[in-house]
Amino acid sequence: MTKLSGFDRRSLLKTAALGSIATISMPAVLRAQAPAIKIGILQPVTGALAQDGEYGRLGAEIALKELNAAGGIKSMGGAKLEMVFGDARSNPEGGTQEVERMQAEGVAAIVGGFASPICLAASQAASRYDIPYLVDVGVSDQIVKRGLKNTFRFGPGFGSVTSAALDNLVKLNDAAGKPAKTVVIVHEDGLFGSGMAKLLQAELPKRGFEVLETVAHPTPSRDMANVALRIRALNPDLVIPSSYYSEFVLLARTMQQQRIKPKGIYAVLNGAASNFRFVKEFPTAAENVMDCNHWADMRKPRTANVKAEVERAGKVWLYNTPLNYSSVLVLADAIERAGSADRVKIIEALNSSTFSDHIMPYGPTKFVEGQNTGAQAVNTQVQNGDIKIIFPTEVANAKPIFPVT
Amino acid sequence: MKGGLFTSGYGPILIVVAALAVLPFGFSANTTLNFLGFVLIVTLAAQGWNLLAGYGGQFSFGHAAFFGMGAYGIALAQVRFGLNPWLALPLSIALGALTGTILGYLSFRARLRGSYFALVTLAFAEVFRILANASTFTGGAAGVLIPLRIEGANFQFADKRSFYWLALSFVAFVLLLTHWIARSRFGAYLVAVRENEDAARALGVDALAVKLKAITLSGGITAAAGCLYAQKFLYIDANLAFGPWISVEALLAPIIGGIGTVFGPLAGAVLLLGLGEVTKTFFTWLLGGAVPGIDLVVFGVLLIFCVAFAPRGVLGVLRRIMPAFRGGRA
Repeated sequence: MTKLSGFDRRSLLKTAALGSIATISMPAVLRAQAPAIKIGILQPVTGALAQDGEYGRLGAEIALKELNAAGGIKSMGGAKLEMVFGDARSNPEGGTQEVERMQAEGVAAIVGGFASPICLAASQAASRYDIPYLVDVGVSDQIVKRGLKNTFRFGPGFGSVTSAALDNLVKLNDAAGKPAKTVVIVHEDGLFGSGMAKLLQAELPKRGFEVLETVAHPTPSRDMANVALRIRALNPDLVIPSSYYSEFVLLARTMQQQRIKPKGIYAVLNGAASNFRFVKEFPTAAENVMDCNHWADMRKPRTANVKAEVERAGKVWLYNTPLNYSSVLVLADAIERAGSADRVKIIEALNSSTFSDHIMPYGPTKFVEGQNTGAQAVNTQVQNGDIKIIFPTEVANAKPIFPVT
Repeated sequence: MKGGLFTSGYGPILIVVAALAVLPFGFSANTTLNFLGFVLIVTLAAQGWNLLAGYGGQFSFGHAAFFGMGAYGIALAQVRFGLNPWLALPLSIALGALTGTILGYLSFRARLRGSYFALVTLAFAEVFRILANASTFTGGAAGVLIPLRIEGANFQFADKRSFYWLALSFVAFVLLLTHWIARSRFGAYLVAVRENEDAARALGVDALAVKLKAITLSGGITAAAGCLYAQKFLYIDANLAFGPWISVEALLAPIIGGIGTVFGPLAGAVLLLGLGEVTKTFFTWLLGGAVPGIDLVVFGVLLIFCVAFAPRGVLGVLRRIMPAFRGGRA
């Protein structure tokens, strides 16, 4: 009886009633419950990347709950999807170990990874067993360039994000009458930041911008005063930061305190500029900050439901959640079409995927060598304490505010 | 007479290695094999540390420098120069050993001891990390991806057992080497330097040469661990190869297991990493769902207990309660 202790009599009756209605309304063939299909959800929920991992897991959980509530996989007799969760511990060893465990538990596919090194190692470990691996975030272009047949990425890669960032920056500047000419690049010295800085340094001059200086800083950094003072001395029109959450928050706050006001802050794949926690905790510092990043398509009705679900869980809205939510839907669609939990069949189904009922601003999926070619990053801007999409215009829900000063 | 093998100390090594070698026949779960493979990599890195710190008394906080040299060595030799990994393996180990010699020469000649030496090694590892992170030759922050081509000739095994046995043979070799060193004249010098360097010098021990030999060996062994890591995961970046995590693992394992003992690093690595896995599985089973981070909590508590109540490591405790283990003391 211990199982029932959480219910009161009324809710128990309700559940029983609902249950019996459901049983009656279901056709007899489906009454025999099909065996559940196990889906591996791999996220780093301990260690340095724990915050991102938690939000990714939340997205996957919401998706699985929705799918099961809607009757599971219909082509397999309403088979339910069951989550096998794995903590990647913010490192590739942890990710690989969890893939091995998921293999032992017999998952049909794996979704997640978050960080590029985890995705690289985990997808490779999964490839040994032909487990379809759907990368949620990891932007490193190496992920889909290894010729692994099992590895797919729903979101955009580094190359595509950066070229979108550059194109949109030019559009933004041209539309405002070219107010910005000089740029200071601030970047963390890891994979994102360094690669980004190198690319920007090469590409910005070709597009009519002058790069005054490139300032690198390590992650973690506990003080950004020197970087801020350097920016003040150089007095650029634009600051382009590419850092993780804490460092960017520090920089934005320091710039605010020192009253350093460039014509715009234009972040690329920034940890904070598209994070509601930053917007809520430091509204003044965050106001008008632009970012080129993953973001959900806020115009789709389904997005609002997911967002409400996230808020009900007491969490803020981050890109990890809609990306994982959508990735699980893409996978479920593939399983539905494959009509089987057979891994090779799911891989085939993913290869022919044209799924558009997700909540990212991508259009129907189309995987070419594992990469979803429809995926794109969007430009966001913090406006009046909300994060709005300003580019591309087809999915935008606000007009850019530029120049700020 | 069994005692002969046991008093020479080679007996226990052979028994332990044989037991580990037949382990994969006992079960077929790749999860366990994968995990044990990683344990052996950490063991190897820790054995390198133990030789220098446990026997020689030179505490290094920067064994990541050697680990990274091995990992980057074998990875870049394949990616940049198209070398076969089996050929790159000895070269990378030599590179780690050379790094050890240079690092040792610079710091020991300057008579850096104790915490000063520890800080210098830490600094070296960090400098290497930053350089590897910045240089285009090492792939910068994007790291190096070793192309996937699963064949034995390419040092990538389809069967996890092959990797396990390979790693085990390295560990076994170092177990024998450590034991041999501990009983040799060189080992005696090393311990003399650890116990009292000035007294050792007064007795005619060339302390610099002894320490240089130790750090060279230590660097080579830890570099071998780096090579195995690179070949197992086929991807490295500056933080994985030169990051502080491996420096910490390499010194924690012998400290928990028993510093300055032949089996210390192995026992420590199995215990440290094994307990994490066991608690994770146990709590998942107990609560019917994964509790992220619970293994780390248990890990932390055990570490505190170990340091508080077993300063000579787990083997030290065993030796205290079971006299039979006394023979193993080097």
